[in-house]
Amino acid sequence: MGKIITLALKDLKVLSRDKGSVFWVLFFPLLVALFFGSIFSGGGGGPSGMKIAVVDTDSTDYSIAFAEELSGLSSLQVSRIPADSAIDKVRRGKLSAVVTIKKGFGQTLGMFTDSAMIEIGVDPSRKMTVGYLQGLLTQSHFRLLQKRYADPESWRMGMDSLLADTSFWEKAPPGTEEIGRSIIGSFKELSHYISTSGETGTSDTTSDSAGTTAEAKKEDGFNLFPMKMTTITNDEAGPRSSFEITFPSSMLWALIGIASAFAVSIVKERTAGTFLRLRLAPISRMQILAGKGLACFLSSLVVTIILLLFGNLVFGVRIGNPVILLIAVIATSYCFVGISMLVSTIGKTEESVGGASWGILLVSAMTGGGMIPLMFMPGWLVTISHFSPVKWGILAIEGGVWRNFTFSDMLMPLGMLIGIGTLTFAIGATILSRRDS
Amino acid sequence: MITVKNLKKSFGELTAVDDVSFSINKGEVFGLLGPNGAGKTTTINIIVGLLKPDSGLVEIDGNSDPTKSSVRTRIGNAPQTLALYDMLSGRENLEFFGKLYGLSGSKLKERVDWALDFGRLTDRQKDRVGTYSGGMKRRLNMAGAVIHDPPVILFDEPTVGVDPQSRNMIFDSIEDLKAQGRTIVYTTHYMEEAERLCDEVAIIDHGKILDLGTVRDLTKQYGGPALIEAEYESLPDDISGLPGEFEGNTVRIETEKPMEDLAKLTRNGHTLRQLRIDQPDLETVFLNITGRSLRD
Repeated sequence: MGKIITLALKDLKVLSRDKGSVFWVLFFPLLVALFFGSIFSGGGGGPSGMKIAVVDTDSTDYSIAFAEELSGLSSLQVSRIPADSAIDKVRRGKLSAVVTIKKGFGQTLGMFTDSAMIEIGVDPSRKMTVGYLQGLLTQSHFRLLQKRYADPESWRMGMDSLLADTSFWEKAPPGTEEIGRSIIGSFKELSHYISTSGETGTSDTTSDSAGTTAEAKKEDGFNLFPMKMTTITNDEAGPRSSFEITFPSSMLWALIGIASAFAVSIVKERTAGTFLRLRLAPISRMQILAGKGLACFLSSLVVTIILLLFGNLVFGVRIGNPVILLIAVIATSYCFVGISMLVSTIGKTEESVGGASWGILLVSAMTGGGMIPLMFMPGWLVTISHFSPVKWGILAIEGGVWRNFTFSDMLMPLGMLIGIGTLTFAIGATILSRRDS
Repeated sequence: MITVKNLKKSFGELTAVDDVSFSINKGEVFGLLGPNGAGKTTTINIIVGLLKPDSGLVEIDGNSDPTKSSVRTRIGNAPQTLALYDMLSGRENLEFFGKLYGLSGSKLKERVDWALDFGRLTDRQKDRVGTYSGGMKRRLNMAGAVIHDPPVILFDEPTVGVDPQSRNMIFDSIEDLKAQGRTIVYTTHYMEEAERLCDEVAIIDHGKILDLGTVRDLTKQYGGPALIEAEYESLPDDISGLPGEFEGNTVRIETEKPMEDLAKLTRNGHTLRQLRIDQPDLETVFLNITGRSLRD
């Protein structure tokens, strides 16, 4: 066993130093997951904008204006739908977030309040979009404030509202209500004078002033415009986000890359002559092949776990059942070890094996749902997909991610993966051994 | 130490090794000398157990199965193809090969250090092999063959494509091994290497051993006479008693005793302007046996 581990560690070291292999094995699958995940998530930026719902429970002039301000942003696609429907759409991944404007927003302008007047309900898998959305909300709010206070009539309305708010004056320290009302009254008169004399400040000047103030306040650490975050999770079976579809696929892409890399490495041992030296050493052929297999298996395991953890930590891809998922990853890795062994027998040069392995595995990925999810495929292609190890690998991994598979549900995909892996390994090892004789 | 009897190996219609027999004593350097395609590498591959012969026998220390682990640990082989991992450093390559032979811990470190010194690669041990020159790779390839301290070592064309400096280093390394009493099989198509390193040489061509013996015996048997070509400052007045054929001031002599004839040419104080003596060598031996040059 010690010599098998020595062989495997050597292969892992060689693989990790080959930048090309590392790209295909780790970064390419990651790019696939991110690219397709972003496209299908509806949460990506770009021309279509982030899809959100705005639920206005305040229904004041100011809250309506705020919602319209958000709708005017090109970086957002805003739906005005009821709260239940909005939350449901976030759960099903149709929307990135729901922004709820709470009662009292128009009165307080959402500022300096104890409780947040804006609530963002977001799918945990869209954590990365929250910061972006918060920025857009803050920007829109301050733009609205600028517009509002560039208009003296808005000032007067605001002050009228404040003078009429008995609950506000009840909280005022004793003896201050009269002074406060007097001062606000003076401001009201002043704004009336300004509006009638036509000496209104320009929009730009006011805008600059407000903007600067906002920045200063933010830098000082005041929670000028508090927002509350809520998590909208989906307890039902089904992918919570497109990343729960693309990350299992990306793991299979990684396994395809690894299988191809090891198939080429087996041929490279021959063309470079190192296989000759291995055969001269006091180790058996089976130990040499087992060393290759172990290296392929370990790298498959490591890369799939890295991708899974990345998906989990950054995009909220669930690890629904860790035990099931681990078994799925092990079985899928095992399957691709066998495939790697078989594919290495296709040709006698690195070029022929490299080309043929990618060709075969690409077809396997295409028919197995590695490129387009099986649910979008025609019936006859779904039937063909039963012969693709990629299909069973994705199914097994999804079983542990979001399909909530039980152990009995896993029997079929695991059986197929182990069966394909064992069969292909046996055929590959037999052909390789005969070739050496 | 090594006995090869009536070895035969064919690949389809091609007979690569045809009834080859020889034996090598312990501590001897045995050369297989022949042109490319003569059957040297096939013979080596059969000796180390990489190929099964169609017929014949190979014995190493009385053991007829070189694929046994106990025999393999006693054999070191530096194949003609550079069997190295370019992505690993020189040291990592040697550590890997050493571990395959069961070395570990301080013993492994000691042997790796020794092998690096043997290959004159200590100062480049941490560099990736992909950055090595051809000569350095050859030396590392040889070091990989001796990492496990085997008593029998086979070097298959170890100087192919190397620069003169590396070639001299390789010669020095092999002479070190010879001095340590290792039994070495050395294949080459370079005469000067066989002459310098080998105690006994087998001339091989088309899979057959044409003859074998010491370099001295072979040249004596097949080398023919030495050739002297001398040019006088001025032609002696009386050349009737001198050996050879004159053409102007130049005389050419084919002789079995070149030193005696040279003494005759200069006996009466005649001075020579130019002198060339061509001694018979293995090149001549090969030419005389096969009728063609080694490099044909």
